[in-house]
Amino acid sequence: MEHSFSLPNSGHNFDAEASKLGMWLFLFTELLLFGGLFLVYMVYRSLNHEAFIEASHHLNVWAGTTNTIVLLASSLTVAMSITALQQGNKKRSLLLLTITFIAAGVFLVIKYFEWSAKFEHGLFPGMEHYSQLPTGERLYFYLYFFMTGLHGLHVIIGGIFLAVVMVKIKSGKVHKDRISLLENGGLYWHLVDLIWIYLFPLFYLIH
Amino acid sequence: MENINTHTPQVAVSQHISSYKLLFTVFAGLILLTILTVLVSTTFTFSVSLAVALALMIASTKALLVAYYFMHLKYEPRFYKWMVIVVLALFTFFVIMLTIDYFTR
Amino acid sequence: MTTTIAQPSYLEGKKGLFSWIFTLDHKRIALLYLYAIIAFFLVGMTLGLLMRLELLNPGKDLVEPTTYNQIFTLHGVIMIFLFIIPSIPAVFGNFFLPLMLGTDDVAFPKLNLLSWWLYVLGAVFALATLVFGDGPADTGWTFYAPYSVKTGTNVTMAVMAAFILGFSSILTGLNFIVTIHRLRTPGMGFNQMPLFAWGLYATSWIQLLATPVIGITLLMIVAERVFGIGLFDPSIGGDPVLYQHMFWIYSHPAVYIMALPAMGIVSEIIPTFAQRTIFGYKAIAYSSMAIAFIGYFVWGHHMFTSGMSGPAAIIFSVLTFLVAIPTAIKVFNWVATLYKGSIDVKPPLLYALAFIFNFLIGGLTGLVNGALAADIHVHDTYFVVGHFHYVMFGGTGFAFFGALHYWFPKIYGKLYNIRMANISFAIFFIGFQLLYFPMLVVGLMGMPRRYYDYLPQFHVPNVVSTVGSWILATGILMMIANLMVAYWKGKKARKNPWHGITLEWQTSSPPPLHNFDKMPEVNEKGPYHYKNAMDQ
Ligand code: HEM
Ligand SMILES: [Cu+2]
Repeated sequence: MEHSFSLPNSGHNFDAEASKLGMWLFLFTELLLFGGLFLVYMVYRSLNHEAFIEASHHLNVWAGTTNTIVLLASSLTVAMSITALQQGNKKRSLLLLTITFIAAGVFLVIKYFEWSAKFEHGLFPGMEHYSQLPTGERLYFYLYFFMTGLHGLHVIIGGIFLAVVMVKIKSGKVHKDRISLLENGGLYWHLVDLIWIYLFPLFYLIH
Repeated sequence: MENINTHTPQVAVSQHISSYKLLFTVFAGLILLTILTVLVSTTFTFSVSLAVALALMIASTKALLVAYYFMHLKYEPRFYKWMVIVVLALFTFFVIMLTIDYFTR
Repeated sequence: MTTTIAQPSYLEGKKGLFSWIFTLDHKRIALLYLYAIIAFFLVGMTLGLLMRLELLNPGKDLVEPTTYNQIFTLHGVIMIFLFIIPSIPAVFGNFFLPLMLGTDDVAFPKLNLLSWWLYVLGAVFALATLVFGDGPADTGWTFYAPYSVKTGTNVTMAVMAAFILGFSSILTGLNFIVTIHRLRTPGMGFNQMPLFAWGLYATSWIQLLATPVIGITLLMIVAERVFGIGLFDPSIGGDPVLYQHMFWIYSHPAVYIMALPAMGIVSEIIPTFAQRTIFGYKAIAYSSMAIAFIGYFVWGHHMFTSGMSGPAAIIFSVLTFLVAIPTAIKVFNWVATLYKGSIDVKPPLLYALAFIFNFLIGGLTGLVNGALAADIHVHDTYFVVGHFHYVMFGGTGFAFFGALHYWFPKIYGKLYNIRMANISFAIFFIGFQLLYFPMLVVGLMGMPRRYYDYLPQFHVPNVVSTVGSWILATGILMMIANLMVAYWKGKKARKNPWHGITLEWQTSSPPPLHNFDKMPEVNEKGPYHYKNAMDQ
């Protein structure tokens, strides 16, 4: 089908600026999604000050610190992979993304061990030990599992996102002059990092 | 027809390329701040509310670094910064109103 | 120069079910929404009629008390999440935003299709509550904890429905913001944009920034029910008032998701039928943004009687009064536009005027609710039920049907019978007043909401109200029948039957697949600059 007239500003054209703006807007919704949780945390923490401090002793600061560093490093490698692709270095970009991907895996493994330790102590909501805790500590653990769980889900989604980007870089669909998808994957990944930056002190470092 | 505008929207946006060196510097800063916040929380146990305030300030600095350099916010048009400010302002308002409610009950 | 080959209209072209349900064309997606939304409106209306029938006499006539609770919950959920919130943006926003901006689609057509499918999925969840377990939720559409955590009805599914519909709404808003920023036709700055686009822009920001808060809150309710232990249950240290905070942080701004696009519609209809440049273009445009912004700061007025602290309640009450200012600005400007205009009274204008009238009543009764002292008296009475029907139904609902009458010739290329449209409007309008005005009265007398029963002294107003509901339903059915007849048998509509001058009137009716056969011409002096208007 032919039509000789088409509008200059078509919704079907590719527009890098639009895709970036769209991604930022999406990040705002993610921020406020977690923002809601932070509000709940804030209120319950102020109502159950002592209990929160008491409960936070169950967390392993070193595991949390390691994970913080792992995520920060993965953020660095994503940012670098964008620089690499902008300079046309496809190989290096892919390598850096692979490192990011591995870091995501490491993060999840550490998280897994942390969670299973809590499970063994029966601290998951609904378990026996949990039900015997004072209410403030129960709220703490509920929030801990809810927030780190949701964050973990975002790590997984971010990892999948980056994997897709890697495939597209390999096949040449994402390249130097059409880098939006990589940039958006990077933005998403940084958001995951940003949220952890707050989760870490609020759960691990409050004693 | 002369009023058909034949320009196509920008496909390639003017990109800013961050140097590896800059990214590394930022990363080093982030790690230092992480160590700092852990140290503060494990050694300064005299005042809990002060420790929390410090921890949040350090976290916010880190967040700012990530947004500004890793997420390229620094090089985005002013509109992007305004959006971020509005979102943060809204969130701050939520915090303020909840605080007022719970502390004056 | 090449000759332009006329494209087929968007209604012709590809045929078959799949060419509709998987279409990327914003106009077809808009029609999908239109049919679904009208269908849900009719379902919700039937539930409303059922409630009114039960309330015709005091005592139990038709349904069990629990069933009544389930009916008003389902009515609320359908009307809010499936009808009124998506109504104008998803139907007329989708259809006309690209046309008014002089482009051929929204910025992300595929995302748009995803929004539609999320809407379908959410609707399936909402309807599935009917057939599983103990039936639909009986909590009221607000899902207040701790009851929503304890009841045996299908709250989880209903809440998931609201969650999914929320995402649909977020993605629509995101799409519109990017569209407005990136796809305006060359020569159209923000201040040459039609006011409907401004209304959608403000709305989209609310959809984007408020909806996530309720999303996460609803997830917490789900988690609480699934794990049997929770956050908002006072018996384990949770605070139900916190749930209310989280709920209204979204749900008050959501009121403006309903109102702002409706105000945009009115701002389109009035200059067209007054054939006159709109008075105070910038004031109307920017007041939309102001309303959207201030709308975030007033949620607490829903919680004056919930145990919120005194100082917080006072602050929220004061802030609530602030929202009235930009709203009043708009009303003044509309009236000033009509003044000395050459007014052509056609069905769309009637709906717009009805909007102003009803919204005025809704707004004034809203101030009664917003005043701390008065609200203590009317909270949870039929006064509130009357108030929000005036705002949502009398306001946004009328604007929705007004938009349908305004753009029907453009959408289908057919004209409807104007006389029939006027008559059905009159019946609809009278029925509406009879249905809801008595609610305000009986509420002030002290009749509480959300009961299947009432004391005998409330009988008379309730009878009037129920009779009103029959008249209203008659009007609505006549209106829809009239439009359906027009769709099958209506006369062909010209390009521009109402002499509008925004860009959608520059293309054929119905529009071609890619919206325009030649470059649309932007009026540099603004979108409502009528050349032969009386005052120029
Ligand atoms: C079509 C005719 C309608 C009728 C006859 C009707 C009737 C009613 C009645 C009698 C109630 C009060 C139930 C009670 O508190 O016991 C009610 C509640 C409600 N209506 Fe309508 N209504 C109609 C249309 C609408 C529309 C168009 C909307 C939204 C745009 C709407 C939204 C609501 C909401 C949100 C509630 C509150 C439900 C709750 O308490 O959880 N209604 N309606
Ligand atoms: Cu409100």
